[in-house]
Amino acid sequence: MSVDIQLAPVIHFEPGLSTSKPSRGGNLAAGALRAGSLVAFVTILLVFSLTAPYFLSVGNIGNVLGQSAISGVLAIGLTIVLIAGGSNVVTGGIDLSLAANMGLSAAVYATAAQLGYGDATAVAGALLTGLLIGAINAIAVVGAGIVPLLATLAVMNIVAGLELVLTQNTVIPASTPLLTDLSSSGPLGIPALAYVLLVFTLIAAAIVQHTPAGLRLYAVGEFPDAARAAGLPVRRLVAGAFMASGFCGGVAGVLSVSNLSGSTTGSGEMLLPVVVTALLGSVFSRRLVPTVIGTLLSTLFVGFLVNGFQLLNISSVLVSGVQGLLILLVVSATTLLRRQEA
Amino acid sequence: MTLQTSAIEPSVPRALIGVVVDNALVLALVTVFAIFSFATPTFLTIANLQSILVNNFTLLAIAAIAMTSAVSVGGIDLSVGTAIDFASFAFVSLVLAGQPVAIAALAGLGAGAAVGAFNAVLISGIGISPFLATLGTLFIGRSIQQLLTNGGNPVYLPPSGIPETFRFLGRGAIGGIPVPLIITAIIIVAATVILTRARFGRVALAIGIQPSVVRYSGIAARIHVAMAFILAGLIAAVAGLILSATVTVYIPSSGSAFLLNAIGATFIGTTLSRLGRPNIPGTVLGVLLLGIVANGLLLTGLNFYWQQVGTGLLIFAVLALSFITRRKASA
Repeated sequence: MSVDIQLAPVIHFEPGLSTSKPSRGGNLAAGALRAGSLVAFVTILLVFSLTAPYFLSVGNIGNVLGQSAISGVLAIGLTIVLIAGGSNVVTGGIDLSLAANMGLSAAVYATAAQLGYGDATAVAGALLTGLLIGAINAIAVVGAGIVPLLATLAVMNIVAGLELVLTQNTVIPASTPLLTDLSSSGPLGIPALAYVLLVFTLIAAAIVQHTPAGLRLYAVGEFPDAARAAGLPVRRLVAGAFMASGFCGGVAGVLSVSNLSGSTTGSGEMLLPVVVTALLGSVFSRRLVPTVIGTLLSTLFVGFLVNGFQLLNISSVLVSGVQGLLILLVVSATTLLRRQEA
Repeated sequence: MTLQTSAIEPSVPRALIGVVVDNALVLALVTVFAIFSFATPTFLTIANLQSILVNNFTLLAIAAIAMTSAVSVGGIDLSVGTAIDFASFAFVSLVLAGQPVAIAALAGLGAGAAVGAFNAVLISGIGISPFLATLGTLFIGRSIQQLLTNGGNPVYLPPSGIPETFRFLGRGAIGGIPVPLIITAIIIVAATVILTRARFGRVALAIGIQPSVVRYSGIAARIHVAMAFILAGLIAAVAGLILSATVTVYIPSSGSAFLLNAIGATFIGTTLSRLGRPNIPGTVLGVLLLGIVANGLLLTGLNFYWQQVGTGLLIFAVLALSFITRRKASA
């Protein structure tokens, strides 16, 4: 397939090749920002570890990883849609139904477990629910041609309503062998959820960053016309991205049941933090584009921030404010750097 | 094959599709209206129609018009709820502190406009994309409100200490017409005039369609973008004033409840309009559609949770139908 090569001048998406002769200024600016954000990450870790002695212990790091598992999986799902949909948030890729998807998948899992079905059936039910929601989004966006923002907004309402119908707005408790395993600690006393997050990220990164299909997602997102002209199955790729995102919602659903020992209402609260995390993720990538690893880093960044605040007894009220400030700082830096380069 | 036949005798179905596409929103509204009129005996009564306008329409219409102001310059304002909250907080706190209602209301409007100005600095000054800038504002605003209220405690006005003008703003009526409805009508008319007749509105729409042309024409696009976001904050503040006057309490971050519906109404109005541009009548019809569906499903006596599913399904159907017919028409 010479397809990828044809697109190379437009966008440099080869993950292995760091410099395919981009403009000097752009690379410098992007490098400065990327380095800057990593420095900020490390500085925050250092400050917290000096002020809160427990912060850098293996146990605490494991805790942060475990607590970030659910939002991390969701943010990775959203990242895939962002990659395939392009950066324009209004007409481009967005999946507002992700958090509601997690809620419904969790409800399906908990209900199945309560009805006495085994783990395999319950997990399959949750994942199928997620995939089905992804498929509906895909049909709405690719088949009917509805703008993703509107299509997933409508699907979000339907899914959130179905969750309420299923749970009658109550907590559905569930305890299964899988849930016990997921909420226990693995090797090194680190929560099993932490390992789940790491493994999930690695698999997702391998698929998105290192397979032809994944690279084509970038092509479709950044320049759909060129991708179409190059003969890429644009519609199938975009549909696939929404399905993948739906699947992530299903996985997050199962994880959330283990975290809370049941399905709980209010999953919609997760939506905006997940959107912020996924959008922030591009700062941790070389070319300032959404990547799976970048999203993992930004998830952990937010996770460590919240955790450090808790250890230092700083009011959790400030967390969303700091998240907001962060996103503004990061994005201002990006824009100012880009302007210098121009 | 099919292509050729449609090329030879396209006139009738094509013209029909054209009519449907041009008036998709009105047709959707009429259909939904007719369905509920037949399905429930209570829908088509004066009392219920008035209830739709007061309870399902006013606040969302104002919030959606604020959103339309931001969308007209090609942006989006995720912080309309924040402007509503800040206005509500300033208004209720100052009335509680014994200030005259007029001064408190002005302060509320100022607070909303300040949220808009903050967005304007980020978007026009620094050049951050509107989605990210207003998302940041939303998060920071949430924290500020929690700090101001000791972690999210509502600010109540004691029933004895509510001034008459305050109550009038939320629950009063002039000539039998509720005050919130009158204010909403004024805002609808004013916003329509500004967007279609005033120079500012025409420049704003041009920026939304083709920003580079505006810049090459020597027009200061950034100032117009900034003004559109300040205007959005100011209009949202009006919704904040009416909201707090109606429920006589300020609840932190309660304005966010309007966000997704305001986006939905604005984009339904935009995408289903003839030219596909943001427009106030379209937004208002979008709000009416959402309001009628919410009210009609309530009257059908459907389980409350199924109502949400129904709302989502109906809106999904409207969107799918209109996008599919549109595609057919342009094919």
